[in-house]
Amino acid sequence: MFSELFLPVLMEIFMLVVGGYAVAVLDRLVASVLGTPQAGGIWLAPMARGAWLLTQHANATEAPDWRAWRLAPALYLALAAGGLAVVPWSASLVATDLVTSVVLWGSVEALATVVIFLHGWSANSLLALIGGYRYVALGLSYILISMFVLIGVALPAESLQFTQVVASQEGLWNVIRQPLGLPLFLIVGLGMTFWGPLNLADSTDLAGGTASEISGPPRLVWDMARAAMLVAFSGVAATAFLGGWLGPWLPGPLWMSLKMLAVLSVLLLLGRLLPRLAPERCVTLMWVVLLPLSFIDLVWAGAVALWE
Amino acid sequence: MESMNHGLGVDIAFLLLATLAVVTGWRVFRTDSMVRASFFLLVSFIAVGVIMILLAAEYLGVAMFFMMAVEMTVMALFMVMFMMNPAGLNPMNMVHQERIAIGAGVAGFLILGAMALLAIFPDQPVPAGLEPVRSLGNEMLGDSMLIFESAGLVLLTTMIGVVVLSSHRGRYGAAAEGSMPPGLEPGGDPAGKPEEDEEGEGGHHHHHH
Repeated sequence: MFSELFLPVLMEIFMLVVGGYAVAVLDRLVASVLGTPQAGGIWLAPMARGAWLLTQHANATEAPDWRAWRLAPALYLALAAGGLAVVPWSASLVATDLVTSVVLWGSVEALATVVIFLHGWSANSLLALIGGYRYVALGLSYILISMFVLIGVALPAESLQFTQVVASQEGLWNVIRQPLGLPLFLIVGLGMTFWGPLNLADSTDLAGGTASEISGPPRLVWDMARAAMLVAFSGVAATAFLGGWLGPWLPGPLWMSLKMLAVLSVLLLLGRLLPRLAPERCVTLMWVVLLPLSFIDLVWAGAVALWE
Repeated sequence: MESMNHGLGVDIAFLLLATLAVVTGWRVFRTDSMVRASFFLLVSFIAVGVIMILLAAEYLGVAMFFMMAVEMTVMALFMVMFMMNPAGLNPMNMVHQERIAIGAGVAGFLILGAMALLAIFPDQPVPAGLEPVRSLGNEMLGDSMLIFESAGLVLLTTMIGVVVLSSHRGRYGAAAEGSMPPGLEPGGDPAGKPEEDEEGEGGHHHHHH
């Protein structure tokens, strides 16, 4: 009972809390390695910022949709938790071993569009609204690319279950079997957490976009939710492409954590290295270049699955 | 879910989800914004999706989440675009043709209620080795393949057609270029476009507000 029910839930809560903190620390580490000056220590500064936000006043706009505005950050965090719930730490240590867990992750991506739009819309403020609309226009293309790439990893597994997807990588990891998959999926990850080059919903050209009007505790929840979503995404990426818990010597959950950390580091490095795209150009890039590439990835995956 | 004897938890979950689905469905018509109405409907559909998972239709239930998420977002945005209600934040009435709607609602409730109470439903417990995804795949690519494939092809053609029609860039250049808003009176000047004359700022402006 304990190892089946409570252990995965404990693991998930641990990952949500510690993972979010790890994202903040790693991001500062990457920034200082790249030479960007950082105020405060790497370990303490995220804590200090969190404590500061907690004591700040929560901003109010004129006639916002209060319920949606306050719920949106919490819902985004809940979606991150839902995504983490389908990530297997070992063959048995998984919170929800749904037979359609790959599709459930797809739903998390789709529902994230709704939540991010609501966050921008409900503030009743111009720049936040533009950020929300921007995300809807871009989010649809992220979802499509993600869908084709994930169908690709479901093909060799002959299953829509993440534990089966890991089992199918026993001989060869999908990152090698389907070389286009992981790069495309990483772009989806930056997109759905609007991080780095794909931060168009909360970008500085919109003075913070959907988050331009929030401060205090709601701001803290929103920032934590974005970090948690990045952690959930890296869990899914490590499961789908890097063989999940598979690996010699070390126990499965440890391998899984190391792989997640590697994916996180790559994402945060890309976030710091690449410049932000213009939204119109980004839509063109998604539909004209990346979506056809995801078709090629799917055809590749199908051909390899037939040949094996 | 493998056995017929589901626990008390499933019953409680069903009752809570059914209540949520009905209450949010009712709120769709009582709220005053198209965006809120769309997302109340989304919550209602998600509750139904979870009920479908309880009924062992795991693929269809989860598919409900992502399909409805995208559908309701697109619906909300299109309603806002076509209704000229800035951003859907202005209060507006969500019901119209009330007399017909009440009649249709009462008739629908009576028919469905009578079916629920009077119909004899087959007693088919979920078989032990059921693989919902596999059996759905076999159905869609087996006996029903022709129907699903033709429907899929028609939908794909429609999607490509819509993208081509709404694309900003077309065969004759950018869509916005050269298009003029119609005049307010037949044959009149384009509405909302002040005439650009070079004599200075004093020139006559058409204020049709």
